[in-house]
Amino acid sequence: MRYLALLIAQLKIRYIYLKRYYFDTLSMIVTIFLVFLIIFFGATWLLGGTPGDTGDTLEGIVVGFMVWTFALMAYSTLSWGMIEEAQQGTLEQLYMSPLGFGWVTILRVAAHFIFNLLIVIVILLLMMGTTGRWLNLDVLSLIPLVLLTIAGAYGIGFFMGGLALVFKRVQSALQILQFVLVIFIAAPFGWMPFMRFLPLSLGTRLIGAVMIDGRTLLELPPGDVLVLIANSAVYFGLGFLAFKLFEDVARDRGLLGHY
Amino acid sequence: MDTVLEVKDLTKRYRRRRAEPVMAIDRVSFAVRKNEVVGLLGPNGAGKTTTIKCIAGLIKANSGEIWLDGIEAQRQPKRAMERVAALLEGNRNIYWRLTPRENLEFFAGIQGHMVGKVKRYIDELIELFDLKDKEHTSARMLSRGMQQKLALACALVRQTEVLLLDEPTLGLDVETSYELRHALKQMAARGERTILLSSHDMHVVEDICERVVIINNGRVVVDDRVSNLIKLFRASAYRFELEGRLVEQLELKLKERFPLLALSATDHRTYIDADLKDGSELYEVLDLLKAGGTQIKSIGHKEPDLEEIFLAIVRGQLE
Repeated sequence: MRYLALLIAQLKIRYIYLKRYYFDTLSMIVTIFLVFLIIFFGATWLLGGTPGDTGDTLEGIVVGFMVWTFALMAYSTLSWGMIEEAQQGTLEQLYMSPLGFGWVTILRVAAHFIFNLLIVIVILLLMMGTTGRWLNLDVLSLIPLVLLTIAGAYGIGFFMGGLALVFKRVQSALQILQFVLVIFIAAPFGWMPFMRFLPLSLGTRLIGAVMIDGRTLLELPPGDVLVLIANSAVYFGLGFLAFKLFEDVARDRGLLGHY
Repeated sequence: MDTVLEVKDLTKRYRRRRAEPVMAIDRVSFAVRKNEVVGLLGPNGAGKTTTIKCIAGLIKANSGEIWLDGIEAQRQPKRAMERVAALLEGNRNIYWRLTPRENLEFFAGIQGHMVGKVKRYIDELIELFDLKDKEHTSARMLSRGMQQKLALACALVRQTEVLLLDEPTLGLDVETSYELRHALKQMAARGERTILLSSHDMHVVEDICERVVIINNGRVVVDDRVSNLIKLFRASAYRFELEGRLVEQLELKLKERFPLLALSATDHRTYIDADLKDGSELYEVLDLLKAGGTQIKSIGHKEPDLEEIFLAIVRGQLE
Protein backbone atom coordinates (compact mmCIF):
# COMPACT_ATOMS: atom_id res chain seq x y z
CA MET A 1 0.00 0.00 0.00
CA ARG A 2 2.83 2.39 0.88
CA TYR A 3 4.64 1.64 -2.36
CA LEU A 4 1.38 2.15 -4.24
CA ALA A 5 1.04 5.57 -2.56
CA LEU A 6 4.56 6.39 -3.73
CA LEU A 7 3.84 5.22 -7.29
CA ILE A 8 0.61 7.25 -7.41
CA ALA A 9 2.51 10.32 -6.17
CA GLN A 10 5.11 9.86 -8.94
CA LEU A 11 2.47 9.29 -11.62
CA LYS A 12 0.52 12.33 -10.49
CA ILE A 13 3.49 14.71 -10.49
CA ARG A 14 4.48 13.54 -13.99
CA TYR A 15 0.91 13.94 -15.25
CA ILE A 16 0.63 17.42 -13.73
CA TYR A 17 3.89 18.56 -15.35
CA LEU A 18 2.97 17.22 -18.78
CA LYS A 19 -0.52 18.73 -18.61
CA ARG A 20 0.29 22.05 -16.95
CA TYR A 21 3.26 22.68 -19.19
CA TYR A 22 1.49 21.33 -22.30
CA PHE A 23 3.28 23.81 -24.53
CA ASP A 24 6.59 22.34 -23.41
CA THR A 25 5.25 18.82 -23.98
CA LEU A 26 4.04 19.73 -27.47
CA SER A 27 7.31 21.52 -28.28
CA MET A 28 9.22 18.41 -27.27
CA ILE A 29 7.10 16.21 -29.57
CA VAL A 30 7.38 18.67 -32.47
CA THR A 31 11.16 19.10 -32.03
CA ILE A 32 11.76 15.35 -31.94
CA PHE A 33 9.53 14.92 -34.98
CA LEU A 34 11.37 17.67 -36.90
CA VAL A 35 14.73 16.09 -36.12
CA PHE A 36 13.33 12.80 -37.39
CA LEU A 37 12.12 14.42 -40.63
CA ILE A 38 15.57 15.91 -41.24
CA ILE A 39 17.26 12.55 -40.66
CA PHE A 40 14.70 10.56 -42.64
CA PHE A 41 14.55 12.77 -45.71
CA GLY A 42 18.31 13.37 -45.50
CA ALA A 43 18.84 9.62 -45.58
CA THR A 44 16.37 9.26 -48.46
CA TRP A 45 18.30 11.82 -50.44
CA LEU A 46 21.65 10.16 -49.62
CA LEU A 47 20.32 6.75 -50.63
CA GLY A 48 19.25 8.33 -53.90
CA GLY A 49 15.64 7.24 -53.99
CA THR A 50 12.18 8.29 -52.96
CA PRO A 51 10.91 7.44 -49.47
CA GLY A 52 8.88 4.68 -51.06
CA ASP A 53 11.66 2.65 -52.65
CA THR A 54 14.64 2.53 -50.31
CA GLY A 55 13.66 -0.62 -48.48
CA ASP A 56 14.54 -1.71 -44.97
CA THR A 57 17.17 0.99 -44.40
CA LEU A 58 14.61 3.73 -43.99
CA GLU A 59 12.32 1.56 -41.92
CA GLY A 60 15.35 0.85 -39.77
CA ILE A 61 15.73 4.59 -39.31
CA VAL A 62 12.15 4.84 -38.04
CA VAL A 63 12.75 2.04 -35.53
CA GLY A 64 16.19 3.32 -34.52
CA PHE A 65 14.88 6.84 -34.04
CA MET A 66 12.01 5.57 -31.94
CA VAL A 67 14.38 3.63 -29.67
CA TRP A 68 16.74 6.60 -29.48
CA THR A 69 13.87 8.92 -28.45
CA PHE A 70 12.77 6.48 -25.79
CA ALA A 71 16.32 5.93 -24.55
CA LEU A 72 16.93 9.66 -24.40
CA MET A 73 13.80 10.21 -22.32
CA ALA A 74 14.71 7.27 -20.10
CA TYR A 75 18.16 8.39 -19.16
CA SER A 76 17.15 12.06 -18.90
CA THR A 77 14.60 11.12 -16.21
CA LEU A 78 17.44 10.04 -13.97
CA SER A 79 20.38 12.20 -14.97
CA TRP A 80 18.81 15.59 -15.71
CA GLY A 81 16.09 14.77 -13.20
CA MET A 82 18.65 14.30 -10.45
CA ILE A 83 20.32 17.61 -11.32
CA GLU A 84 16.97 19.41 -11.25
CA GLU A 85 16.06 17.91 -7.88
CA ALA A 86 19.43 18.92 -6.43
CA GLN A 87 19.04 22.44 -7.82
CA GLN A 88 15.62 23.01 -6.31
CA GLY A 89 16.55 21.38 -3.00
CA THR A 90 14.04 18.55 -3.13
CA LEU A 91 16.59 15.77 -3.54
CA GLU A 92 17.23 15.60 0.19
CA GLN A 93 13.50 15.38 0.83
CA LEU A 94 13.20 12.45 -1.56
CA TYR A 95 16.17 10.86 0.12
CA MET A 96 14.35 11.01 3.44
CA SER A 97 11.51 8.77 2.28
CA PRO A 98 11.15 5.78 4.61
CA LEU A 99 10.60 3.63 1.53
CA GLY A 100 14.20 4.28 0.51
CA PHE A 101 15.68 6.48 -2.17
CA GLY A 102 16.15 3.45 -4.42
CA TRP A 103 12.40 2.80 -4.50
CA VAL A 104 11.61 6.48 -4.89
CA THR A 105 13.83 6.49 -7.98
CA ILE A 106 12.64 3.17 -9.40
CA LEU A 107 8.98 4.13 -9.08
CA ARG A 108 9.74 7.48 -10.65
CA VAL A 109 11.32 5.59 -13.53
CA ALA A 110 8.15 3.44 -13.78
CA ALA A 111 5.89 6.51 -13.80
CA HIS A 112 8.00 8.20 -16.45
CA PHE A 113 8.12 5.02 -18.51
CA ILE A 114 4.33 4.93 -18.76
CA PHE A 115 4.05 8.55 -19.92
CA ASN A 116 7.12 8.32 -22.16
CA LEU A 117 5.57 5.28 -23.84
CA LEU A 118 2.48 7.35 -24.69
CA ILE A 119 4.62 10.17 -26.08
CA VAL A 120 6.74 7.76 -28.12
CA ILE A 121 3.58 6.16 -29.54
CA VAL A 122 2.40 9.62 -30.68
CA ILE A 123 5.79 10.34 -32.26
CA LEU A 124 5.86 6.89 -33.88
CA LEU A 125 2.42 7.38 -35.40
CA LEU A 126 3.52 10.78 -36.72
CA MET A 127 6.67 9.23 -38.18
CA MET A 128 4.80 6.38 -39.82
CA GLY A 129 2.08 8.69 -41.14
CA THR A 130 4.60 11.10 -42.67
CA THR A 131 6.85 8.49 -44.24
CA GLY A 132 4.07 6.18 -45.30
CA ARG A 133 5.87 3.25 -43.72
CA TRP A 134 3.33 1.52 -41.53
CA LEU A 135 5.27 -0.83 -39.32
CA ASN A 136 3.99 -3.90 -37.53
CA LEU A 137 2.81 -2.90 -34.02
CA ASP A 138 2.58 -6.24 -32.25
CA VAL A 139 2.08 -4.83 -28.76
CA LEU A 140 2.51 -8.15 -26.95
CA SER A 141 5.91 -8.67 -28.53
CA LEU A 142 6.99 -5.05 -28.44
CA ILE A 143 6.26 -4.14 -24.81
CA PRO A 144 8.68 -6.71 -23.29
CA LEU A 145 11.30 -5.97 -25.94
CA VAL A 146 11.05 -2.21 -25.39
CA LEU A 147 11.20 -2.70 -21.61
CA LEU A 148 14.28 -4.89 -21.89
CA THR A 149 15.97 -2.56 -24.37
CA ILE A 150 15.25 0.61 -22.43
CA ALA A 151 16.43 -1.01 -19.18
CA GLY A 152 19.97 -0.51 -20.52
CA ALA A 153 19.28 3.21 -21.00
CA TYR A 154 17.96 3.40 -17.43
CA GLY A 155 21.20 1.75 -16.31
CA ILE A 156 23.14 4.52 -18.05
CA GLY A 157 20.76 7.05 -16.51
CA PHE A 158 21.39 5.69 -13.02
CA PHE A 159 25.15 5.88 -13.61
CA MET A 160 24.96 9.46 -14.85
CA GLY A 161 22.53 10.40 -12.08
CA GLY A 162 25.02 9.05 -9.56
CA LEU A 163 27.80 11.07 -11.19
CA ALA A 164 25.58 14.16 -10.95
CA LEU A 165 25.15 13.57 -7.20
CA VAL A 166 28.90 13.70 -6.64
CA PHE A 167 30.28 15.94 -9.38
CA LYS A 168 27.20 18.16 -9.88
CA ARG A 169 28.10 19.68 -13.22
CA VAL A 170 27.90 16.79 -15.66
CA GLN A 171 25.76 18.45 -18.31
CA SER A 172 28.49 18.32 -20.98
CA ALA A 173 28.91 14.59 -20.50
CA LEU A 174 25.14 14.16 -20.70
CA GLN A 175 25.01 15.99 -24.01
CA ILE A 176 27.81 13.90 -25.49
CA LEU A 177 26.07 10.77 -24.29
CA GLN A 178 23.02 11.57 -26.45
CA PHE A 179 25.19 10.92 -29.48
CA VAL A 180 26.90 7.90 -27.95
CA LEU A 181 23.41 6.37 -27.70
CA VAL A 182 23.12 6.71 -31.49
CA ILE A 183 26.30 4.66 -31.85
CA PHE A 184 24.89 1.97 -29.56
CA ILE A 185 21.65 1.83 -31.53
CA ALA A 186 23.34 1.79 -34.94
CA ALA A 187 26.21 -0.52 -33.89
CA PRO A 188 27.04 -2.70 -36.90
CA PHE A 189 27.31 -5.99 -35.06
CA GLY A 190 26.90 -7.92 -38.30
CA TRP A 191 30.65 -7.60 -38.77
CA MET A 192 31.56 -6.74 -35.16
CA PRO A 193 29.62 -9.34 -33.14
CA PHE A 194 30.82 -8.09 -29.75
CA MET A 195 28.79 -4.94 -30.33
CA ARG A 196 25.58 -6.84 -29.61
CA PHE A 197 26.62 -6.64 -25.96
CA LEU A 198 26.42 -2.84 -25.96
CA PRO A 199 23.33 -1.35 -24.34
CA LEU A 200 20.39 -0.75 -26.73
CA SER A 201 22.16 -2.45 -29.62
CA LEU A 202 20.66 -5.95 -29.72
CA GLY A 203 17.29 -4.73 -28.42
CA THR A 204 16.95 -2.29 -31.33
CA ARG A 205 17.60 -5.12 -33.81
CA LEU A 206 15.01 -7.36 -32.17
CA ILE A 207 12.44 -4.55 -32.08
CA GLY A 208 13.24 -4.02 -35.76
CA ALA A 209 12.66 -7.72 -36.44
CA VAL A 210 9.17 -7.39 -34.96
CA MET A 211 8.26 -4.04 -36.48
CA ILE A 212 9.86 -4.40 -39.90
CA ASP A 213 9.93 -8.16 -40.56
CA GLY A 214 6.64 -8.81 -38.80
CA ARG A 215 8.00 -11.51 -36.51
CA THR A 216 6.61 -12.19 -33.04
CA LEU A 217 8.59 -12.43 -29.82
CA LEU A 218 8.35 -16.22 -29.92
CA GLU A 219 9.75 -16.33 -33.44
CA LEU A 220 12.89 -14.43 -32.48
CA PRO A 221 16.10 -16.48 -31.91
CA PRO A 222 15.91 -17.59 -28.24
CA GLY A 223 19.66 -17.06 -27.88
CA ASP A 224 19.29 -13.40 -28.86
CA VAL A 225 16.38 -12.90 -26.45
CA LEU A 226 18.39 -14.47 -23.63
CA VAL A 227 21.39 -12.27 -24.42
CA LEU A 228 19.05 -9.25 -24.39
CA ILE A 229 17.64 -10.24 -20.98
CA ALA A 230 21.15 -10.74 -19.59
CA ASN A 231 22.31 -7.51 -21.19
CA SER A 232 19.46 -5.51 -19.69
CA ALA A 233 19.92 -7.05 -16.26
CA VAL A 234 23.67 -6.35 -16.31
CA TYR A 235 23.44 -2.73 -17.51
CA PHE A 236 20.50 -1.89 -15.28
CA GLY A 237 22.11 -3.65 -12.32
CA LEU A 238 25.53 -2.09 -12.85
CA GLY A 239 24.00 1.36 -13.32
CA PHE A 240 21.95 1.01 -10.16
CA LEU A 241 24.93 -0.33 -8.21
CA ALA A 242 27.08 2.56 -9.39
CA PHE A 243 24.28 4.95 -8.41
CA LYS A 244 24.19 3.48 -4.88
CA LEU A 245 27.99 3.79 -4.64
CA PHE A 246 27.93 7.42 -5.78
CA GLU A 247 25.06 8.06 -3.36
CA ASP A 248 27.21 6.67 -0.57
CA VAL A 249 30.10 8.95 -1.58
CA ALA A 250 27.70 11.93 -1.72
CA ARG A 251 26.45 11.11 1.79
CA ASP A 252 29.97 10.72 3.09
CA ARG A 253 31.01 14.08 1.65
CA GLY A 254 27.73 15.77 2.59
CA LEU A 255 26.96 16.58 -1.03
CA LEU A 256 23.34 15.48 -1.36
CA GLY A 257 21.94 18.95 -0.83
CA HIS A 258 24.62 20.83 -2.71
CA TYR A 259 24.50 22.08 -6.20
CA MET B 1 9.10 11.87 29.68
CA ASP B 2 10.51 9.42 27.13
CA THR B 3 13.56 10.27 25.10
CA VAL B 4 12.66 10.31 21.43
CA LEU B 5 15.91 11.52 19.92
CA GLU B 6 19.30 10.69 21.33
CA VAL B 7 22.62 11.55 19.76
CA LYS B 8 25.63 9.81 21.28
CA ASP B 9 29.25 10.77 20.56
CA LEU B 10 28.44 11.74 16.99
CA THR B 11 31.57 12.57 15.01
CA LYS B 12 31.94 13.72 11.43
CA ARG B 13 35.19 14.55 9.68
CA TYR B 14 35.14 15.75 6.08
CA ARG B 15 38.03 14.39 4.09
CA ARG B 16 39.75 16.82 1.76
CA ARG B 17 42.05 16.25 -1.15
CA ARG B 18 45.67 17.02 -0.26
CA ALA B 19 44.68 18.60 3.03
CA GLU B 20 43.94 17.66 6.60
CA PRO B 21 40.38 16.47 7.25
CA VAL B 22 38.00 19.05 8.70
CA MET B 23 36.36 18.07 11.97
CA ALA B 24 32.75 19.20 11.59
CA ILE B 25 31.38 17.67 14.78
CA ASP B 26 33.32 16.01 17.54
CA ARG B 27 31.59 13.57 19.91
CA VAL B 28 28.35 15.53 19.98
CA SER B 29 25.84 14.11 22.46
CA PHE B 30 22.42 15.29 23.55
CA ALA B 31 18.92 13.95 24.00
CA VAL B 32 15.47 15.34 23.23
CA ARG B 33 12.40 14.15 25.08
CA LYS B 34 8.97 13.54 23.56
CA ASN B 35 7.20 16.76 22.53
CA GLU B 36 10.15 18.87 23.67
CA VAL B 37 11.28 21.81 21.52
CA VAL B 38 15.05 22.18 21.62
CA GLY B 39 17.17 24.87 19.98
CA LEU B 40 20.46 23.92 18.39
CA LEU B 41 22.65 27.01 18.42
CA GLY B 42 26.13 27.85 17.33
CA PRO B 43 28.08 30.27 15.18
CA ASN B 44 28.51 29.66 11.44
CA GLY B 45 30.47 26.49 10.83
CA ALA B 46 29.90 25.22 14.36
CA GLY B 47 28.38 21.96 13.12
CA LYS B 48 24.63 22.55 13.51
CA THR B 49 23.65 21.64 9.95
CA THR B 50 25.99 18.65 9.92
CA THR B 51 24.38 17.39 13.13
CA ILE B 52 20.88 17.85 11.71
CA LYS B 53 21.76 16.22 8.40
CA CYS B 54 23.39 13.28 10.17
CA ILE B 55 20.16 12.76 12.14
CA ALA B 56 18.18 13.01 8.90
CA GLY B 57 20.43 10.37 7.31
CA LEU B 58 21.67 12.80 4.67
CA ILE B 59 25.26 12.78 5.90
CA LYS B 60 27.12 9.68 6.99
CA ALA B 61 28.78 10.11 10.37
CA ASN B 62 32.22 8.63 11.05
CA SER B 63 31.23 7.36 14.45
CA GLY B 64 28.59 7.69 17.11
CA GLU B 65 24.96 6.69 17.41
CA ILE B 66 21.65 8.32 16.57
CA TRP B 67 18.61 6.83 18.28
CA LEU B 68 15.17 7.78 17.03
CA ASP B 69 12.41 6.39 19.19
CA GLY B 70 14.45 3.29 19.97
CA ILE B 71 15.75 2.79 16.42
CA GLU B 72 19.44 3.24 15.64
CA ALA B 73 19.19 5.42 12.55
CA GLN B 74 22.42 4.38 10.89
CA ARG B 75 21.69 0.67 11.18
CA GLN B 76 18.01 0.90 10.24
CA PRO B 77 17.72 4.03 8.11
CA LYS B 78 14.33 3.22 6.56
CA ARG B 79 12.67 2.62 9.92
CA ALA B 80 14.33 5.73 11.28
CA MET B 81 13.00 7.81 8.38
CA GLU B 82 9.48 6.89 9.44
CA ARG B 83 10.16 8.90 12.55
CA VAL B 84 11.87 12.02 11.26
CA ALA B 85 11.18 14.82 8.79
CA ALA B 86 13.24 17.91 8.12
CA LEU B 87 12.95 21.41 6.80
CA LEU B 88 16.30 22.37 5.37
CA GLU B 89 17.45 25.62 3.75
CA GLY B 90 14.31 27.70 4.13
CA ASN B 91 12.14 28.02 1.05
CA ARG B 92 13.84 25.26 -0.92
CA ASN B 93 12.54 21.71 -0.36
CA ILE B 94 9.34 22.29 -2.34
CA TYR B 95 8.37 21.84 -5.99
CA TRP B 96 8.00 25.35 -7.34
CA ARG B 97 5.91 24.25 -10.30
CA LEU B 98 3.33 22.53 -8.11
CA THR B 99 0.62 24.20 -6.04
CA PRO B 100 0.71 24.02 -2.22
CA ARG B 101 -1.93 21.26 -2.21
CA GLU B 102 -0.08 19.27 -4.88
CA ASN B 103 3.18 19.65 -2.94
CA LEU B 104 1.53 18.42 0.25
CA GLU B 105 -0.04 15.47 -1.53
CA PHE B 106 3.26 14.55 -3.17
CA PHE B 107 5.24 14.61 0.07
CA ALA B 108 2.54 12.56 1.79
CA GLY B 109 2.92 10.02 -1.02
CA ILE B 110 6.70 10.00 -0.68
CA GLN B 111 6.20 9.04 2.95
CA GLY B 112 3.91 6.20 1.86
CA HIS B 113 0.61 7.84 2.90
CA MET B 114 -2.37 7.41 0.55
CA VAL B 115 -3.71 10.89 -0.20
CA GLY B 116 -7.27 9.90 0.71
CA LYS B 117 -6.14 9.04 4.22
CA VAL B 118 -4.33 12.32 4.86
CA LYS B 119 -6.72 14.67 3.04
CA ARG B 120 -8.17 16.02 6.28
CA TYR B 121 -4.70 16.65 7.70
CA ILE B 122 -3.66 18.43 4.50
CA ASP B 123 -6.74 20.65 4.84
CA GLU B 124 -5.74 21.37 8.44
CA LEU B 125 -2.19 22.30 7.44
CA ILE B 126 -3.45 24.60 4.69
CA GLU B 127 -5.61 26.35 7.30
CA LEU B 128 -2.86 26.42 9.93
CA PHE B 129 -0.37 28.07 7.60
CA ASP B 130 -2.87 30.50 5.98
CA LEU B 131 -2.42 28.93 2.56
CA LYS B 132 -6.13 28.56 1.79
CA ASP B 133 -6.28 31.46 -0.67
CA LYS B 134 -3.23 30.21 -2.50
CA GLU B 135 -3.73 26.47 -2.38
CA HIS B 136 -4.12 26.27 -6.16
CA THR B 137 -1.38 28.78 -7.06
CA SER B 138 2.03 27.58 -8.25
CA ALA B 139 4.52 27.67 -5.38
CA ARG B 140 6.85 29.85 -7.44
CA MET B 141 4.19 32.58 -7.42
CA LEU B 142 4.03 32.66 -3.62
CA SER B 143 5.94 35.13 -1.45
CA ARG B 144 9.11 33.84 0.16
CA GLY B 145 7.39 33.68 3.53
CA MET B 146 4.55 31.61 2.11
CA GLN B 147 7.00 29.31 0.37
CA GLN B 148 8.75 28.79 3.67
CA LYS B 149 5.46 28.08 5.41
CA LEU B 150 4.65 25.60 2.67
CA ALA B 151 8.04 23.92 3.08
CA LEU B 152 7.29 23.58 6.80
CA ALA B 153 3.84 22.17 6.04
CA CYS B 154 5.44 19.66 3.64
CA ALA B 155 7.72 18.48 6.44
CA LEU B 156 4.71 18.19 8.76
CA VAL B 157 2.54 16.26 6.30
CA ARG B 158 4.92 13.34 6.68
CA GLN B 159 3.45 12.96 10.19
CA THR B 160 6.68 11.95 11.86
CA GLU B 161 7.39 12.06 15.57
CA VAL B 162 10.53 14.18 15.20
CA LEU B 163 10.82 17.35 13.18
CA LEU B 164 14.19 18.90 12.34
CA LEU B 165 14.15 22.56 11.37
CA ASP B 166 17.35 24.05 9.98
CA GLU B 167 17.16 27.84 9.82
CA PRO B 168 13.41 28.02 9.16
CA THR B 169 13.36 31.84 9.16
CA LEU B 170 16.53 32.34 7.12
CA GLY B 171 16.34 35.19 4.62
CA LEU B 172 12.92 36.41 5.71
CA ASP B 173 12.12 40.05 6.39
CA VAL B 174 11.06 41.01 9.92
CA GLU B 175 7.34 40.79 9.27
CA THR B 176 7.43 37.45 7.46
CA SER B 177 9.83 36.05 10.02
CA TYR B 178 7.32 37.06 12.69
CA GLU B 179 4.51 35.32 10.80
CA LEU B 180 6.48 32.09 10.47
CA ARG B 181 7.53 32.32 14.10
CA HIS B 182 3.88 32.62 15.02
CA ALA B 183 3.09 29.52 12.95
CA LEU B 184 5.96 27.64 14.58
CA LYS B 185 4.77 28.72 18.01
CA GLN B 186 1.27 27.52 17.29
CA MET B 187 2.67 24.23 16.12
CA ALA B 188 4.88 23.87 19.17
CA ALA B 189 1.99 24.79 21.44
CA ARG B 190 -0.06 21.92 20.05
CA GLY B 191 2.61 19.67 21.54
CA GLU B 192 2.30 17.05 18.83
CA ARG B 193 5.90 16.99 17.71
CA THR B 194 9.38 16.72 19.08
CA ILE B 195 11.32 19.54 17.47
CA LEU B 196 15.03 20.21 17.07
CA LEU B 197 15.46 23.70 15.67
CA SER B 198 18.62 25.39 14.50
CA SER B 199 18.49 29.12 13.96
CA HIS B 200 20.54 32.27 14.12
CA ASP B 201 17.38 34.14 15.01
CA MET B 202 17.48 34.21 18.80
CA HIS B 203 13.96 35.60 19.00
CA VAL B 204 12.69 32.44 17.35
CA VAL B 205 14.68 30.23 19.69
CA GLU B 206 13.76 32.20 22.81
CA ASP B 207 10.11 32.23 21.74
CA ILE B 208 9.75 28.57 20.94
CA CYS B 209 12.43 26.48 22.60
CA GLU B 210 12.39 25.25 26.16
CA ARG B 211 15.99 24.11 26.04
CA VAL B 212 19.08 24.90 23.99
CA VAL B 213 22.11 22.93 22.97
CA ILE B 214 24.97 25.22 21.99
CA ILE B 215 27.65 23.84 19.70
CA ASN B 216 30.94 25.56 19.11
CA ASN B 217 33.81 24.22 17.02
CA GLY B 218 31.91 20.98 16.62
CA ARG B 219 31.47 20.36 20.33
CA VAL B 220 28.55 20.78 22.67
CA VAL B 221 29.42 23.57 25.09
CA VAL B 222 26.04 24.11 26.73
CA ASP B 223 22.97 21.93 27.12
CA ASP B 224 20.47 23.58 29.45
CA ARG B 225 17.00 25.04 29.76
CA VAL B 226 16.62 28.60 28.42
CA SER B 227 15.21 29.73 31.79
CA ASN B 228 18.25 28.32 33.63
CA LEU B 229 20.66 30.11 31.32
CA ILE B 230 18.82 33.39 31.78
CA LYS B 231 18.86 32.90 35.55
CA LEU B 232 22.55 32.09 35.50
CA PHE B 233 23.47 35.08 33.40
CA ARG B 234 21.14 37.40 35.27
CA ALA B 235 23.32 36.92 38.36
CA SER B 236 26.43 38.13 36.56
CA ALA B 237 24.95 40.70 34.17
CA TYR B 238 25.24 44.26 35.52
CA ARG B 239 24.09 47.59 34.23
CA PHE B 240 25.85 50.76 35.45
CA GLU B 241 24.14 54.11 34.93
CA LEU B 242 26.63 56.99 34.98
CA GLU B 243 26.22 60.75 35.10
CA GLY B 244 27.39 62.46 31.87
CA ARG B 245 29.67 61.04 29.17
CA LEU B 246 32.82 59.01 29.81
CA VAL B 247 36.18 60.50 29.02
CA GLU B 248 37.90 58.68 26.16
CA GLN B 249 40.83 57.49 28.29
CA LEU B 250 38.53 55.81 30.81
CA GLU B 251 36.50 54.23 28.03
CA LEU B 252 39.70 52.74 26.55
CA LYS B 253 40.83 51.46 29.96
CA LEU B 254 37.48 49.79 30.61
CA LYS B 255 37.41 48.14 27.18
CA GLU B 256 40.99 47.00 27.52
CA ARG B 257 40.24 45.25 30.80
CA PHE B 258 36.73 44.01 29.85
CA PRO B 259 36.59 43.52 26.08
CA LEU B 260 32.98 42.22 26.12
CA LEU B 261 31.66 45.24 28.00
CA ALA B 262 29.03 47.25 26.10
CA LEU B 263 28.83 51.04 26.29
CA SER B 264 25.92 53.21 25.26
CA ALA B 265 25.20 56.86 25.94
CA THR B 266 22.56 59.56 25.74
CA ASP B 267 23.28 63.30 26.05
CA HIS B 268 23.48 63.21 29.85
CA ARG B 269 23.94 59.56 30.72
CA THR B 270 26.29 56.68 29.98
CA TYR B 271 25.28 53.05 30.39
CA ILE B 272 27.69 50.17 30.84
CA ASP B 273 26.48 46.59 30.38
CA ALA B 274 28.95 44.05 31.63
CA ASP B 275 29.05 40.39 32.42
CA LEU B 276 31.16 40.15 35.56
CA LYS B 277 32.28 36.79 36.80
CA ASP B 278 32.59 37.57 40.48
CA GLY B 279 32.67 40.32 43.08
CA SER B 280 36.31 41.19 42.42
CA GLU B 281 35.51 42.15 38.82
CA LEU B 282 32.68 44.35 40.08
CA TYR B 283 35.12 46.12 42.41
CA GLU B 284 37.58 46.50 39.55
CA VAL B 285 34.97 48.32 37.45
CA LEU B 286 34.05 50.51 40.43
CA ASP B 287 37.70 51.35 41.04
CA LEU B 288 38.23 52.31 37.40
CA LEU B 289 35.13 54.50 37.42
CA LYS B 290 36.17 56.13 40.69
CA ALA B 291 39.68 56.78 39.36
CA GLY B 292 38.14 58.33 36.25
CA GLY B 293 36.10 60.67 38.41
CA THR B 294 32.79 59.32 37.18
CA GLN B 295 29.62 59.74 39.17
CA ILE B 296 27.58 56.55 39.43
CA LYS B 297 23.79 57.05 39.37
CA SER B 298 22.82 53.42 39.81
CA ILE B 299 24.02 49.81 39.55
CA GLY B 300 21.60 47.01 38.86
CA HIS B 301 21.26 43.52 37.50
CA LYS B 302 20.46 43.48 33.83
CA GLU B 303 17.87 41.09 32.34
CA PRO B 304 19.92 39.23 29.72
CA ASP B 305 18.37 37.95 26.51
CA LEU B 306 19.32 34.73 24.82
CA GLU B 307 21.36 36.51 22.18
CA GLU B 308 23.65 38.05 24.80
CA ILE B 309 23.94 34.75 26.61
CA PHE B 310 24.78 32.99 23.37
CA LEU B 311 27.42 35.57 22.46
CA ALA B 312 28.98 35.45 25.90
CA ILE B 313 29.21 31.66 25.78
CA VAL B 314 30.57 31.48 22.26
CA ARG B 315 33.04 34.33 22.69
CA GLY B 316 34.14 32.90 25.98
CA GLN B 317 34.81 29.66 24.23
CA LEU B 318 36.67 31.32 21.42
CA GLU B 319 39.02 33.14 23.70
